Amino acid sequence: MIRVALTRVSLATILLAGTALPALAKDALDITGRWQRYGIGANAANMAEGEKKFTPPPRPEPPLKPEYLEKWKAFEKEKKEAAAAGTPFATTWNDCIGSGMPEMMAAAFPMEILQTDGQITIIQEAFMEIRRIYLDQPQVSLDDIELGYYGHSVGHWEDGELHAETIGIKPDVQVNDAPHSETMKIEETFHMVSDDIMWVDITLVDPDYLTKPWSWSYAFQKMPDYQMQEYVCEGNREYTDEDGYQRIRLPE
Amino acid sequence: MSVRLWSVVAAVACLLAGAAGARPAAAHHSFAMYDHDRTVTLMGTVTKFQWTNPHAYLEVDVVNEEGAVTHYSIEMTSINMMRRIGWKSSLIKPGDKVAATMAALLDGRPGGLLLDVTLPDGKVWKTGVPAEHTFTRTPDAVVGVQK
Repeated sequence: MIRVALTRVSLATILLAGTALPALAKDALDITGRWQRYGIGANAANMAEGEKKFTPPPRPEPPLKPEYLEKWKAFEKEKKEAAAAGTPFATTWNDCIGSGMPEMMAAAFPMEILQTDGQITIIQEAFMEIRRIYLDQPQVSLDDIELGYYGHSVGHWEDGELHAETIGIKPDVQVNDAPHSETMKIEETFHMVSDDIMWVDITLVDPDYLTKPWSWSYAFQKMPDYQMQEYVCEGNREYTDEDGYQRIRLPE
Repeated sequence: MSVRLWSVVAAVACLLAGAAGARPAAAHHSFAMYDHDRTVTLMGTVTKFQWTNPHAYLEVDVVNEEGAVTHYSIEMTSINMMRRIGWKSSLIKPGDKVAATMAALLDGRPGGLLLDVTLPDGKVWKTGVPAEHTFTRTPDAVVGVQK
């Protein structure tokens, strides 16, 4: 009986410790919680006129240098024609691979943010993508990391805004098929625009490929009662064929 | 196919075609391989309800007036999206007689994208297909007889 009671106390202590928020840095906001993209899909259709001010404008075309822009536009045309013909090009999602940075921030599914000491963790429900922003640390050198889908992110709070910088994104992890260099930087600013709406400005800096920084924004609304679901690809029937088109397997 | 292999395939294709630039790794699913101009409603019997990501699938046997059986595989959306609009894995069972409204595969194979399904209790469940309004509904197109 005593042993059971002690176990309960210990468990309760652990649970309490686990739920305690870390002390947030000066100027930091509490952005821990679940979020959904605001101003898209059904939630945009039902939006009152006054709420549309929190809907960011669409992402502009990438300001690519002329030699890259021409190829990008040609490929965009090819993509549209392929889709119109009912034979769309495949994407990473067809092969159950997530979007990587910065496209994962488009958050087609709910997103969770966790604030712990020295770190902010962002989890996308789709494909269970995870990125980590290390707070108040200097950025590393590209020589010290391997290029990947999420790169290496550092950040700091300043006047109620979270500023993050990410480097180390593989060139074939792209936003809307826009090419970039290995030295591309992703700059983000997170801030609240109302009690429950967070605004994230994203800027890609890549003088090798862009004539100027490429910027756009996303808005997110809190989902106070939502619990994140798991997302494991276990029954994928879609695949990419030898010509790069999206295909689907039907049972024999 | 991995992104690396994808890039290799694209690079080889570019070399062969003399084109410039690879087909890189963008995101998101496309439903462009399904007919957006008409729908077909299948009157059939469920053989399997595959509750998985990235998408769920409904397998349905459809019997025509001559008694011939055609099997259809119908793609649905992510089970995460379906859960958010009330679906459960136990909602459909093998043997259920359903009316499944789908956008058919454009390549002519017996399959499609499920827009909604009427279950034995008469309730209609939508699958939450993004941009569902872009699919033109043709309710008179019915295939199969319910026995």
